Amino acid sequence: MIGLSKYRLRWYVGMFLTYAGIAAALIFFLFPFIWIVTTSLKGNEDYFTFPPVWIPTEPSLAHYERLFTHGNGWLYFKNSLAISSLSMVAALAFSVPTAYSIARFRFGGSLFSNFLLLLRTMPAIALVIPIYVLYSKLGITNNYFGLILLYTVFYIPFAVWLLIGFIRDVPVEIEEAALIDGCSRLQALLRVVLPVIVPGLAVVALFAFITTWNEFLFAVILTGAETKTVMVLVASYTTGSPTDTFFGEASASVVLGILPSFLVAFALQRYLVKGLALGAVKG
Amino acid sequence: MLKRKLSTRQEAYFFASPALFLIVAFVIFPLCYSFYLTFQNYDLAIGPPAEYVGLENYQEMLEDKRFWRSWLNTFIIIFPSITLQLLLGLGIALLLNRPIRGRAFITSLLIIPSMVSPVSAAMAWRMLFGVKYGGINNFFMQIGLLDVYFDWFATPARAIFSIVAVEVWHNTSFMMIVLLAGLQSIPQELYEAGEVDGASAWQKFWWITLPLLKFTMIVALLIRMIDLTKIFGLIYLLTFGGPAGSTQTVAFSTYLSGFQDFRISYASTLSYVIVVGVFLLTLVFQKVSRFREGGEA
Repeated sequence: MIGLSKYRLRWYVGMFLTYAGIAAALIFFLFPFIWIVTTSLKGNEDYFTFPPVWIPTEPSLAHYERLFTHGNGWLYFKNSLAISSLSMVAALAFSVPTAYSIARFRFGGSLFSNFLLLLRTMPAIALVIPIYVLYSKLGITNNYFGLILLYTVFYIPFAVWLLIGFIRDVPVEIEEAALIDGCSRLQALLRVVLPVIVPGLAVVALFAFITTWNEFLFAVILTGAETKTVMVLVASYTTGSPTDTFFGEASASVVLGILPSFLVAFALQRYLVKGLALGAVKG
Repeated sequence: MLKRKLSTRQEAYFFASPALFLIVAFVIFPLCYSFYLTFQNYDLAIGPPAEYVGLENYQEMLEDKRFWRSWLNTFIIIFPSITLQLLLGLGIALLLNRPIRGRAFITSLLIIPSMVSPVSAAMAWRMLFGVKYGGINNFFMQIGLLDVYFDWFATPARAIFSIVAVEVWHNTSFMMIVLLAGLQSIPQELYEAGEVDGASAWQKFWWITLPLLKFTMIVALLIRMIDLTKIFGLIYLLTFGGPAGSTQTVAFSTYLSGFQDFRISYASTLSYVIVVGVFLLTLVFQKVSRFREGGEA
């Protein structure tokens, strides 16, 4: 009896410590988000008081309004939205056939998949230097089209690699049936394979959107006054020393910057673990 | 009209060619062009015409103290970051691997930091680290741990500490998620067998979990190393390379050469060293992951 209760006590203590550890982790990883959201809702009178105000006394969306109406926030938000969604669509359009070719015809063999991996890890800084020179010569810096193409290409290796798995899961038999019925390969891909892999396409699309939305290096170098993205806007609040920032608008811009990530994180809940871990766990 | 059937080989090329064309036009060609530039003295501040200068850029790079410093700075940021990420990530993964309620929900909450961009993360932390009225100083003053405002970026050591802290916050969850997947793939029978033999919790961890998680850890560490070699956004937002150049990493000092000094050729030369570094890490990564697959099969 005593042995058993000792065992149970140890189990309870163990579980208590487990939950305590997880709670500590949750606090560490989430408090910056809570702080930045409350900061963006505070009025100016709440920033410079002591003792500090943690919960806004009169929550208001005034800073968001300023961000969108007084500055170019609305324009940059639209830019980010347009650039991210167009390069998402383009990346899918280019990656699906390539992934299909690899999954069904073993296009390029292992050499090509190694090449794709190298492209995935390619340092952006090495690419942006020649791209900047070439774009300047062509006169397409500060141009949506040039930026969208670049993001499309940069995302292709990851998209292809994710899509190969989804396409391999489609049984070859249903495709062969379509081919016998007189479909061309292209029709088979469009009418038979695509409808089956819609969930996979959604995952790839959302990852593409968020990757482009979050990108900074290309954006800060290749955009001009009219084509800036939200990330460039966020970074623009660093002028001056780290000691003084425009609390209201800066925090509102950060919230704007992380909003899509939050939405995607919850939309992809089921796939997130796989999507993030796959790279390390499966090769 | 008679439709001619394409051969399988032709079909394979037909489907792959659009993406291949883009990759050649926007990656391969620019990289070749920048390799060509490394033998020129193309300088946007002085302006063209650029001319052939042989290996001058490479020679200058090898004698450039800033270049060697930037690699040292990058290592100084990488090693504490990946060590902490491994330890913290493993710790949290072990907790999440226990029989707890709401694991899926907790996991997806914990992943959020690694989903947000480095720029947003760094801006939030820049404001938290703010000297006057920053969240952290405010909190420590309120509970009485600080009586004067503390400048988290004043000295090289503090700036590096702050960058490492933000990087750990930002990407520990990646490590956590990879290790959790690794933990869940360890067969439960091994632990049961260990229990039958009277192994303590610590012995089970040391003799079962760690050996079976070894390759997953190495692969995850390599991914973080490849990423951190390219670290740029955090530096740009938090310190802009300061104080006294102590946080100028390789990608950041290349950026400064190219887009502040406008020395395009020299920046191309610097960038090629990063390409080679990342290339070597990627090769190691490939070898290790192939070896792991072979070992498990």
